[in-house]
Amino acid sequence: MALLAQYVVGGLAVGSLYALVALGIVLLYRTSRILNFAHGDLATFGTFIAFALISTAHWPFAAASAGSLLATALVGAAFFFLVIRPAKEATLLGKIVITLGLALILQGATAVFWGTDTKTMPFPLSDTKVYRLGEVVISQISLGSFAVGLVLMAGLYVLVQRTRVGLAMRAVSQDMVAAQVLGIPVRRIFALTWGLASALGAAAGILLAPVTLLDPYMMLDPFLKGFAAAVLGGIDSMPGAAVGGLLLGVVEALFGAYVSVKFKTTLAFLIIIAVLVIRPEGLLGREYKRRV
Amino acid sequence: MRTATRMGVLVAVLVLVATVSVGVSQERGITDTEIVIGSSQPLSGPAAFWGQGVGGGMDAYLKWINDAGGINGRKIRLVLRDDGYLPTRAVANVRELVERERVFAIVSLIGSANAFAVRDYIIENQVLWMTPTADANMWAGFKNKKYLFVGYPGYVDEGRILTTYAAKNEGVKSVAVFYQNDLYGQKGLLGIKRGIADTKIKLATAVPYEVTDRDLSGQAVKLRQSGADAVMLYATPTQGALIVREMAKIGFSPKLFASFTLADPVMFQLAGDAWNGVILTAYFPVPGTDPKVDAMLDTLLKINPQLRQSPFNALAGVSFLEPFVEAIRRAGPNVTRDSVVRALESMRNWNGEVIRGITFGPDRHQGLNRIYIIKSENRQYKKLTDWIEYPVGF
Amino acid sequence: MELRQRYEEDLYLVRGALGWTALLALIALLALLPVLAPGYFLYTASLIAAHIVIAVGLNLLVGYTGQISLGHAGFVAVGAYAAGILAARLHLPWPAAMAGGGLVAALFGFLVGIPALRLTGPYLTIATLGFGIAVNQVLTNWEALSGGRSGLFLPKLAIAGTRLRDHHIYYLFAAIAAAGVWVAFNLVRSHIGRAFVAIRDSDIAAEVTGVNLTIYKTLAFAVSAFYAGLGGAMLAYLLGFLEPQMFTLFESVYYLSMIVVGGLGTIPGSVLGAALLTILPQQLAGLKQFLPLVYGATIVFVMAVEPWGLYGRWLRIKLWFKTWPF
Repeated sequence: MALLAQYVVGGLAVGSLYALVALGIVLLYRTSRILNFAHGDLATFGTFIAFALISTAHWPFAAASAGSLLATALVGAAFFFLVIRPAKEATLLGKIVITLGLALILQGATAVFWGTDTKTMPFPLSDTKVYRLGEVVISQISLGSFAVGLVLMAGLYVLVQRTRVGLAMRAVSQDMVAAQVLGIPVRRIFALTWGLASALGAAAGILLAPVTLLDPYMMLDPFLKGFAAAVLGGIDSMPGAAVGGLLLGVVEALFGAYVSVKFKTTLAFLIIIAVLVIRPEGLLGREYKRRV
Repeated sequence: MRTATRMGVLVAVLVLVATVSVGVSQERGITDTEIVIGSSQPLSGPAAFWGQGVGGGMDAYLKWINDAGGINGRKIRLVLRDDGYLPTRAVANVRELVERERVFAIVSLIGSANAFAVRDYIIENQVLWMTPTADANMWAGFKNKKYLFVGYPGYVDEGRILTTYAAKNEGVKSVAVFYQNDLYGQKGLLGIKRGIADTKIKLATAVPYEVTDRDLSGQAVKLRQSGADAVMLYATPTQGALIVREMAKIGFSPKLFASFTLADPVMFQLAGDAWNGVILTAYFPVPGTDPKVDAMLDTLLKINPQLRQSPFNALAGVSFLEPFVEAIRRAGPNVTRDSVVRALESMRNWNGEVIRGITFGPDRHQGLNRIYIIKSENRQYKKLTDWIEYPVGF
Repeated sequence: MELRQRYEEDLYLVRGALGWTALLALIALLALLPVLAPGYFLYTASLIAAHIVIAVGLNLLVGYTGQISLGHAGFVAVGAYAAGILAARLHLPWPAAMAGGGLVAALFGFLVGIPALRLTGPYLTIATLGFGIAVNQVLTNWEALSGGRSGLFLPKLAIAGTRLRDHHIYYLFAAIAAAGVWVAFNLVRSHIGRAFVAIRDSDIAAEVTGVNLTIYKTLAFAVSAFYAGLGGAMLAYLLGFLEPQMFTLFESVYYLSMIVVGGLGTIPGSVLGAALLTILPQQLAGLKQFLPLVYGATIVFVMAVEPWGLYGRWLRIKLWFKTWPF
């Protein structure tokens, strides 16, 4: 039983990070209908900025994190203005491929600037200091990032559901033309969403870095899992992203523990496919019924 | 279809652009002033860390050789191409290196899949091939090795020696293995199993991971649950460091053993204090234990300071080249494929700056048949044993 | 572009004396390639042929039927391994092994098409992505079947005991690719192709007008997977060696970028994209760590400047010349 609980705790810890990645993907998708495949590489880029600020410029951790979030948000917004907007003729798939191109550029830039070797991220919490609940062990870092993740999710929820900006974002996501007619600055809302989603990615990256170590390819797996979690929860639902991430983390941990480590990822994806066949809009998703 | 014809024109232009043939000389890749050699490495993509270290090391080493006047009046030029760790591109690279750049020899080439994919081409075209960077055991029983020379250990032999040492000298009774689910890890596991059969200790569990895995908490719990008193690692530095930290997190501190790929000083940085008392193998003296190796590392770093991030891989790159450069030296002014082969086959227990104890012969193209055991203590590696030999396979 | 007044005109693949001259010139050029080009380029040309087959098949699914697949490397892997196992273990001759590769992949395509009946957009993306990952992990870990990470060696291509040389392989592959392109051209102009396009534009409307979604969606997956499997079998014979890591998500993305850069929903676009994205990384291999930067920037630039891909740009250039100087 204690063993089972240990696996669940491990699953929740990593699942909360998947959820954070998923949130950024969902936020962008519900506003702009773009599946951003560069999300993981934006996050990596942001994490490296934080790393550089800490280790080269000797900023304190909090300031470096804030600086990194801001810088990543600017990169995201700049990408919207420089590439996505001029290419508005592109199809949905065309836009996906553009973000794939951006992913390659960011990955290449990260590798050229900071090298491809693995680095350790200085982090205020320790990963070897642990708390015990009976026989279950949880590290300070897991607990901390879990808490920060929850705070970020709650903050995002308030922003989208309780503020005027959030209202505008929701309006744009429902009907862009109508929103424009009603005087909502659609372009600025898009840019803001890109910035916010990118910053969220950077936050996830900074929280992940002490767990995964730091190299240009660190977000490969977490991004894929975050993407899967977003779809599992319903790609237009923010609570869905959180639920999907935690669920995916736990399911994966339990499969790895009791069935097969080798087929861990496969089984996670097979479950997602099974869920989607039963509920094609994801667990908490709410796709609008189409009219012909 | 009319449009298809335009595509034809485009293809034609591309073909013409690619058709830049080079003059033919007496011996491929050799002129009076230069020897051209080639290598294909992962310089971009997730395996880039490896290729940049090895490729950078080879490049810096050759610069050092050339700055000192080269070998018998000839400079050695390395053409390094990026394959992104993909066999399709490795094949294209090797063919271009041989047919367009007309290289005299191919050095290294990382990964067993890439080595397998280019193997027949290199052998059939009689290109000299120095030390493909993949498990040396894969060449045992393979015919037509006239131009193939390997100065790299076999993972099966290594795993067996490491396990035997653990059982006999460290009193290990039961072993858990954490391995990369590819040929490297699987061959290591096979070697460990052989060592276990020899010494009659117990294999508690074998837990695999994929190179893309970054969450290893489940694997760590499995290793702890196995109740093993030692854990053996066949992993890259990233996952090696991660699993050691995860095990420390859940309060599991077994005796640690690891393959030579983790004998990288970078592990002290990545794994921190957890990388203490780890017993590893080495096939050349690791930095900090041998003045000649340290001097070579200093030289490399002076030429290319970026290699500071991967000292082990850079030195490995040097170790692949050293026997070749020595053979060129021994072949004298008349460098041909056959004279270099004869020179290589004349090497008996030859020591370079980095690689030691290379022996080739007409019937022996596995140049390296020994490793030794080291231990990490206070951010330093310490030599534990003398060379331990294993049987020559080819 | 040109005005077509009769239905028969629409059916002609090649129109006019100019079209025929250009086609013959192209055939002559491709036939003479082994004389004109150095040996190492023949390998790249054969690789392009295999990629053309894969890209054309993917475009039938994505560009024509509107079903996104992010797991196409899975179909390629299934075809490659089916051919490899048929050839290496069951000792079938290569034509049978290649056809077998295509057919086994088509079966998998049909199976993946079934859940795809209910899924669209991101949901379909993740389902196909999961398929690709599943194929990769099964091939990695089911060693009795695939040889696992030790790989699988294929016998060399041979006819009547004589081994095929580089230029033979090139001719063979070019012929297969040409046949694949020709079949695709005809397919998209048949009632099947029109049903595919109808599904892409609006599946509900298509169903109302009598297109059976169950049949045509699974058919689209099966046909596309057949092409992928055939291309995979070509890759397998070209390399003579298979390893699961040759078929990852990266390859799926790579195939997808071929058709998007070339032009979605166009057969010539698939050919252009496959050729460009095979040659580009190879020609830029000297760039080393700067390769992803340049490669990514190229994709972004092409897409930002010309959302309809290279083929779309070509049509615009053609139009400009046609209407010049007005």
